[in-house]
Amino acid sequence: MNSAHERRLIHRFDFNAMGCPCALQLEADAEVAARAAAAAQAEVDRLDRKYSHYRDDSLVAQIGASADAGESIVVDTETADLLDFSATLHAQSGGRFDITSGALTRLWDLKNGRIPDAAAIERARARCGWDRVEWKRPHLRLGVKGMRLDLGGVVKEYAADRAAQVCRDVGIVHGIVDLGGDLTVVGAHPDGSPWLAGIKSPRDTSRAFAQIELHAGGLATSGDYERAVIVDGRRYSHIVDPASGIPVESFSSVSVVADSCLVAGAASTLGMLLGLRAGHDWLLGLGLPFLCIDADGNASGTLAGARDEGRGTRDE
Amino acid sequence: MRRHLSPSLAALMSAATTLVPEAHAQTATGADTESLVSYRFNEYDEDAFAPRPVIGSAERYGVISQQFQLATPVGTDAALSASATHEVMSGSSPWYVVQGPNHQPIQVMSGATIRDHRSAVSASWTQGTGSSGGTTYSASYSAERDYHATAVGIERSIPLSAALTLGVGGSFSHDLIDPVDAQLYDRVQHGQKNTASLFGSLAWIIDRSSVLQTGIQINSEHGFLSDPYKLVTVGDGTIHDLRPGQRDQMAWLVRYRHAFSRPDASLHLDFRYAQDSWGVTSQTLEAAWYQPLPARWQLVPALRYYSQHEARFYAPFFSDPAAHNFFTSDYRLGTFGAFSASLNLRKRLGQWEFSGGFERYHGATDYALGGSDAAVPAVVSYTRAFIGLDYLLK
Repeated sequence: MNSAHERRLIHRFDFNAMGCPCALQLEADAEVAARAAAAAQAEVDRLDRKYSHYRDDSLVAQIGASADAGESIVVDTETADLLDFSATLHAQSGGRFDITSGALTRLWDLKNGRIPDAAAIERARARCGWDRVEWKRPHLRLGVKGMRLDLGGVVKEYAADRAAQVCRDVGIVHGIVDLGGDLTVVGAHPDGSPWLAGIKSPRDTSRAFAQIELHAGGLATSGDYERAVIVDGRRYSHIVDPASGIPVESFSSVSVVADSCLVAGAASTLGMLLGLRAGHDWLLGLGLPFLCIDADGNASGTLAGARDEGRGTRDE
Repeated sequence: MRRHLSPSLAALMSAATTLVPEAHAQTATGADTESLVSYRFNEYDEDAFAPRPVIGSAERYGVISQQFQLATPVGTDAALSASATHEVMSGSSPWYVVQGPNHQPIQVMSGATIRDHRSAVSASWTQGTGSSGGTTYSASYSAERDYHATAVGIERSIPLSAALTLGVGGSFSHDLIDPVDAQLYDRVQHGQKNTASLFGSLAWIIDRSSVLQTGIQINSEHGFLSDPYKLVTVGDGTIHDLRPGQRDQMAWLVRYRHAFSRPDASLHLDFRYAQDSWGVTSQTLEAAWYQPLPARWQLVPALRYYSQHEARFYAPFFSDPAAHNFFTSDYRLGTFGAFSASLNLRKRLGQWEFSGGFERYHGATDYALGGSDAAVPAVVSYTRAFIGLDYLLK
């Protein structure tokens, strides 16, 4: 293996952020790699603190408080850009992607194993809807008391891109960022060869379902294998259609490759939200490489040929 | 990554551009998703000579120009840009300098008020707008009653790493000069000039908010480089402006861009140093502040300083012709300095963008670095204003 020498230079940094295991693999001098890792981790932590809907001191919490007070809030440029991006996704998905549908998502957490009744669904729906939001950059007013923003659908992917850029800023040329399966390439291996990204098997998450070569850009996977719940023999995903208020019958996972993890994540989330048939067709029309895996483990999409069940999740 | 860019994907990438500009540099240029049609109306007015002494008209040159431009992506990997310009020039221009009482230089202006038109077209084609670099091919043609210029150029950007981009290019121009009233004023009847340019630059992304670019440009001109309309006082008479048939110039430039998050603005600093085989050296320093304002306004105040040291064969007038091979009293080859302040304003309204701007340029011999040399009675000051209208087609 002529790349054996380079591979010895890969420094791996594992950490937890945004509720998932994260890893940085950087091919550089140890000192530069350590500096980049610290900076990248700090950037991910910053975004986590800013946009977490679990923290009382986050910006998302402040926005929620402003909704309850019936006031508008002026947001910073980064948040405004994220809101603009989310608004684009809302429009592109015919309203299915909605950062205000947090109340519905929480309703279907199903931590107690009970399916919510119609009245609870209606109550939650009344507190959702991007259409009710007044967004006139940089002024944001959530139209309804109790409405909450959930930027979970974009922030992790954005954080992966930001972490990769922070690594580049520090001087890293070869490396990859992995935030719980959302990947951004800092740069290909020194010999120009791609990183190999494993997509987890929906049935056995310790195994790779497929290997995807990544030279640049990002790979994002939306899936419900980690959060789907089976109640009374029926499988409920965590992806809720805001129109009906009930979870979507969709793929186990959708993976998309794009120039950035942000766009890959948007595409995979929308593919997932649109459901089995429409999601697949929409992704095909979109033109980005993608892979869909259904609940029975059947693969489809332009990357379906990349399937390789025999190999481990990580190539390194 | 080359592929079909569906409308949905274009929308996603365009929306992602502001968040992760590095990954979507392709869309960040705007060339990839939007077509642009623009119109500019520009008025340029040189200050009159008064109160300086002058023989002939004290009014100087004015130019009114209009420009149409079209820029559009072609497929997913190329862009086309084309422009047409029409200018109307009028006024008098400096002719030669005579010695007044006390050896004071007095500018003589061209007798007749010149009124001329210039029409120009240009087009460029950029192939490969993505992260693997691109190549731009350009061509232009410009025509006046007495001047025709044809130019072609090529420019290539080559990413060396994620943070470093090399730019190289070259151009060639062939100009024909056919002075009006050549026989009447004993001017040269026909001249031509060839200009070749080469340049190389390195752009370095220092961090997420700053970019530094440095470059070298080499120009070489051959042919008829004198001004057929200008005379020079030599002894008691005048002769035609006479310059060498070759001019080689080398310029070094540095550009720095820094984006601030608070306030949300960016600073552009540019420096250029040039010197040529005629002995002319010049320095330009420019600072501009790009300030976005609410409701999609943008304000750009800028300051520029220019300093030039004269050509070896410049003088307002010459007493002894035997001491020189070449002669010019063209103010543009003298020693002078200039301060310029400008303010540009833009407003985006849906798919329209309105722009307007104003520049005041003030030149003086004692603004030059190191002070003044030989007198330059015609050193210019001017006022320039423009309004523009752009339409972006998504």
